[in-house]
Amino acid sequence: MNDLAQTTAAPIVSARGLKKHFGRTEILHGLDFDIPAGRIYGLVGHNGAGKTTTLNALLGLTSYEGTVRVLGEDPYQKRASLMQNVAFISDVASLPRFLRVRELFALLTNIHPNFDQAKARGFLEGTDVKMDARIKNLSKGMIAQLHLAVVMAIDAKLLVLDEPTLGLDITYRKRFYRRLLEDYMTEERTLLITTHQVDEIEFMLSDIMFIRDGELILHMQMETVSSKFSQVLVRPDQVAAATALGPIYSETRFGQTAMVFDGVDRDRLAPFGEVTTPTLSDLFVALMQRGPAK
Amino acid sequence: MKSLVALIKREYLEHRGAFLYAPGVILGIMTLVLVFGIASNRFQMHQEIGVPSALKFFEFGFLAVAALWSMYLLAALFFYYADAFSADRRNNAMLFWKSMPVSDFKVLASKSLAGMTILPALIFAAYLITGVLIYVVTMITAMMLPRLGVPGIFEFLSSGFQIAAFAFVCLVTALLWYAPFFAWVGALSTVFRRWSIPLAFLIPGLVGLAENLIFNDTGPRAGYVLNYLNERLKFGADNLHLEREIFADAQFNAMAMIPRFLATVDWAQLVGGLIVAALLVYAASEYRRRIVAT
Repeated sequence: MNDLAQTTAAPIVSARGLKKHFGRTEILHGLDFDIPAGRIYGLVGHNGAGKTTTLNALLGLTSYEGTVRVLGEDPYQKRASLMQNVAFISDVASLPRFLRVRELFALLTNIHPNFDQAKARGFLEGTDVKMDARIKNLSKGMIAQLHLAVVMAIDAKLLVLDEPTLGLDITYRKRFYRRLLEDYMTEERTLLITTHQVDEIEFMLSDIMFIRDGELILHMQMETVSSKFSQVLVRPDQVAAATALGPIYSETRFGQTAMVFDGVDRDRLAPFGEVTTPTLSDLFVALMQRGPAK
Repeated sequence: MKSLVALIKREYLEHRGAFLYAPGVILGIMTLVLVFGIASNRFQMHQEIGVPSALKFFEFGFLAVAALWSMYLLAALFFYYADAFSADRRNNAMLFWKSMPVSDFKVLASKSLAGMTILPALIFAAYLITGVLIYVVTMITAMMLPRLGVPGIFEFLSSGFQIAAFAFVCLVTALLWYAPFFAWVGALSTVFRRWSIPLAFLIPGLVGLAENLIFNDTGPRAGYVLNYLNERLKFGADNLHLEREIFADAQFNAMAMIPRFLATVDWAQLVGGLIVAALLVYAASEYRRRIVAT
């Protein structure tokens, strides 16, 4: 299932047997994964799959069973010190609304040793967010820009984004990810991101993890995804032959049958129709309906 | 230390309404009433008043407003603690503050310290400004009742300083004395949010009731719990018989009154209360650390 990067350096994040119970219900069923430094990870799953619970465990926001290490520390026991090198956005609406932007920056300058106010002001140049504005008077998109400016001005080794663009329109979403890539991922940093709009972040990911009902069903590098999975728009007369090769997913759209294959040589698929690499959202839909990818 | 001071400043910014703006409005209204009274010649003083001099009139007024501002402060602090310990959850800002490298204990300690330092200091400043208004009223009264005489400005300043010093010592002691009650409602607020206000009274009441039902007729009237709380709520300044000092001919002497006042304080109870307050804040911080931040 896992295609863990072989690296001699210690991973930024390491989870072994990560479980979480809410009452008698087990939400996470023993996750095992490593996240090496310098990667951009996407954690994708349907609602209630356990994405946010996983992130909360990594960020020390909730207790868990198993072993989790972030930058070598137990996040639940060492959350405060860990946050010097970890930044996260778990909810774009979580900025303190009673503050003005300049008050927020002044406070952060004294609270966070790795926050650079000049950088944050620089990130806001060219936006509609003014330093004297009250946060409660900003639009949702402007608050997202402000929050992104705050976390980008923190010199962190790991940035975790949990649905950072939820509720934003497409313009803000695209601007958000562009700034993240152009202004933040310039040094060796690690980014872990969850979103429902997987197609919008696909271009920037180096690795992908799919989580379903508290279990990781896919964890691999994006290069491996494109070599391992194939999607074929099967011609009507080839459907039976293609089906014989055991697609992991098949769907008929507007009279055309699209099939997703796992580990089948593209040369064998070419006679059935146009072969492409499935988008993450197509792969996600495919894998949500079957067992873990082999 | 820098981050603790910044977090205390955050409390000031979040709660300045009750401790800066509201006292400012009260002072503004008092000033307007005074100016209107002077301008419309509505001050009437036909009857004799029971003070021997204008200076005593000033001292009486300045001490009386100290009592009024103290009542305002204690009430405001009660609601402050009932709100501040759960404000981050109510404002949906918990996740943002949890992304900062400060522990939950430090956050709650900053809230507690703000309620013991900067916020009372603002009310004390309002009290001092009220002294100027009392001085103006005293001068008008002295002009209407020539028997009272008009003392020099330095006598007023000396009296004002003496009373302010005494009020300051009383204020500091009162804050330390009532600290466990504030910590109690704050700790309840961490768990029950706004319901902490009725629960702060309901829980001790129910405990007292249970004691009376279970150990009927074996203890003092109304039981040990309610008797203890009744005694614990009484503050040393109640037993000072300040009226004797006010209506004496000599100027108010803080150097004589402060030791008398301090001698009435049960220091063992005060120190014990501070330990209880610290334990309650610690327990609240552990609860805050464990809740899944939303």
